[in-house]
Amino acid sequence: MNTGLQPMVQVRGLTRFFGRGCADCFGLTGPTHETNQCPRCRTVIACREVSFDLHADEVLGIVGESGSGKSTVVRLLHFDIEPTSGEFRLHLNGTAGDSVPGLDPQQNLFDLGPHQKRQVRNSLMGIVYQNALLGLRLKVTAGGNIAERLLMAGWRRVGLMRARAVDLLGRTEVPVGRMDELPRNFSGGMQQRVQIAKALSTYPALLLLDEVTTGLDVSVQARVLDLIRSLQRELHVATIVVSHDLGVIRLLTTRTLVMRHGGIVEQGLSDQILEDPQHPYTQLLVSSTL
Amino acid sequence: MSRVIHPNPSSPRADWREACAYSHGRTSFAFLDEGAKREIRRRMLKAVAIPGYQVPFGSREMPIARGWGTGGLQLTLSLIGPEDVLKVIDQGADDSVNAVSIRRFVTRVTGVRTTTDTPAATLIQTRHRIPEEPLRPHQILVFQVPIPEPLRLVEPSEVETRRMHSEADYSRMWLYLYEDIVTYGEITIGARYPVLVNRRHLMDPSPIPRWDVARLNGNPALMLFCAGREKRIYALPPHTRVEPLEFEDFRFQVESFDDRRCLHCGSTQSFLDEIIEEETGRRLYACSDSAFCEKVRKAGDGSTPPSRKEERLP
Repeated sequence: MNTGLQPMVQVRGLTRFFGRGCADCFGLTGPTHETNQCPRCRTVIACREVSFDLHADEVLGIVGESGSGKSTVVRLLHFDIEPTSGEFRLHLNGTAGDSVPGLDPQQNLFDLGPHQKRQVRNSLMGIVYQNALLGLRLKVTAGGNIAERLLMAGWRRVGLMRARAVDLLGRTEVPVGRMDELPRNFSGGMQQRVQIAKALSTYPALLLLDEVTTGLDVSVQARVLDLIRSLQRELHVATIVVSHDLGVIRLLTTRTLVMRHGGIVEQGLSDQILEDPQHPYTQLLVSSTL
Repeated sequence: MSRVIHPNPSSPRADWREACAYSHGRTSFAFLDEGAKREIRRRMLKAVAIPGYQVPFGSREMPIARGWGTGGLQLTLSLIGPEDVLKVIDQGADDSVNAVSIRRFVTRVTGVRTTTDTPAATLIQTRHRIPEEPLRPHQILVFQVPIPEPLRLVEPSEVETRRMHSEADYSRMWLYLYEDIVTYGEITIGARYPVLVNRRHLMDPSPIPRWDVARLNGNPALMLFCAGREKRIYALPPHTRVEPLEFEDFRFQVESFDDRRCLHCGSTQSFLDEIIEEETGRRLYACSDSAFCEKVRKAGDGSTPPSRKEERLP
């Protein structure tokens, strides 16, 4: 575990433009201008100067309306898309750092080459997308989906990989008897649980959950949330939860960022933000959902 | 290109002879022009420098159809010199149509000597087999390749497969093997078994049987691969480490013939083709390498076939 107050994840000035960008982009967008699109060059600032820390074993929520840039943050951190600028550091203090040899805590992970980025992603991060299509290979069996991450991490024993898959599918309440079936035959909730099992297969240090319960019916939502909460307690994995659902944020997270038009408008303890929102937008958000 | 080389359109066969005679005096030795040969040789050098890496090249139009060995033929024609001795095989046989036409074409445009005897050849063009007799140093084996990309099986996009090669990201291929084991209990790839070259590049060994895949490792001969339609050249320099993908608990296995013998020479030491007798429906087995079979028959009763011992890396 980390010592002292050193955060495990440090994100500074994370910015991503979609478009050419011009000198006035920052001045003409953001919460004060009520838009994230630059009126001069039509560039969308999906994410502007987002900075935050995340400690080991902590669950951070990111909440905001659709288009506020919350999913962009997660995808940037997972190296799915390249940032325009920004810094991303991981301090592991021996917890899982051995799996990526020569990873310097002072290293800005965005500067790594594609091969090293893939190594970091495979051994230290897990992601669960809203759409199981993004996170799973639907033409590959459920067990194979879990094995894929293990294969990337260099596992070369079929027996061991299957044992790990059985263990994880059992924990995520997917019937183990169906592990050699294709996930396209599974219900939405089950696909989501296979995704969670896949994300956890290499015991990552950082888990990214992008709108995991959106699109599931309420009873399935409750079971998936229950599962995530118990797994998080068991495995002590630092987690970032992205959701537009304040219920999910309340249930899972300890600290929350509120995003709007690509920037952070408010941050603090989840209870505080939900009970006593300070920013007008957060007030609107809380009052409209509760 | 406005020269008329078909003066008599009524008789195509006579035309062809005339065209050859015509071009023989005026164009380069071995059909290809010197510029083409130079390019292909440079590409081969690069391929040898990066074992297993697919080097793109400008595949030329040849007088046989693409997919019928144009890749191998271009390498052969760029490599061949007047003192070379050529052997051409198709699935191990020296006398099948593809082998015969390619051999005749190369002889016609170069006048080199040909042979069916593996140790006597300096240059061997092959389709889908490695000769049974061990290869020697300084021999060159040229493979005809239909699909040079081993990852095509799992990824249709060329951009994506190139990225996977550049990052040595072969987990998709491993996943394919895993799925095969889960579904069928074993790895079902018969020919085109993917191999890792020099612990770096994943390579398609062309559709040779697994029997031959095992013989690629540390082979003393230079092996060159070329796909004319797909415009790719790759190579295994002599004594290169070539490892088939395998799991620790599901090892790579060569074909097993369960003590079956060749019906002609009685050999149990060679790769056998299955022949089904039409009248009786009986299954018979014969050597796929016809020259090897012949040799064993001449040597005697088949109990002492030429040694298959080859130099292997430790």
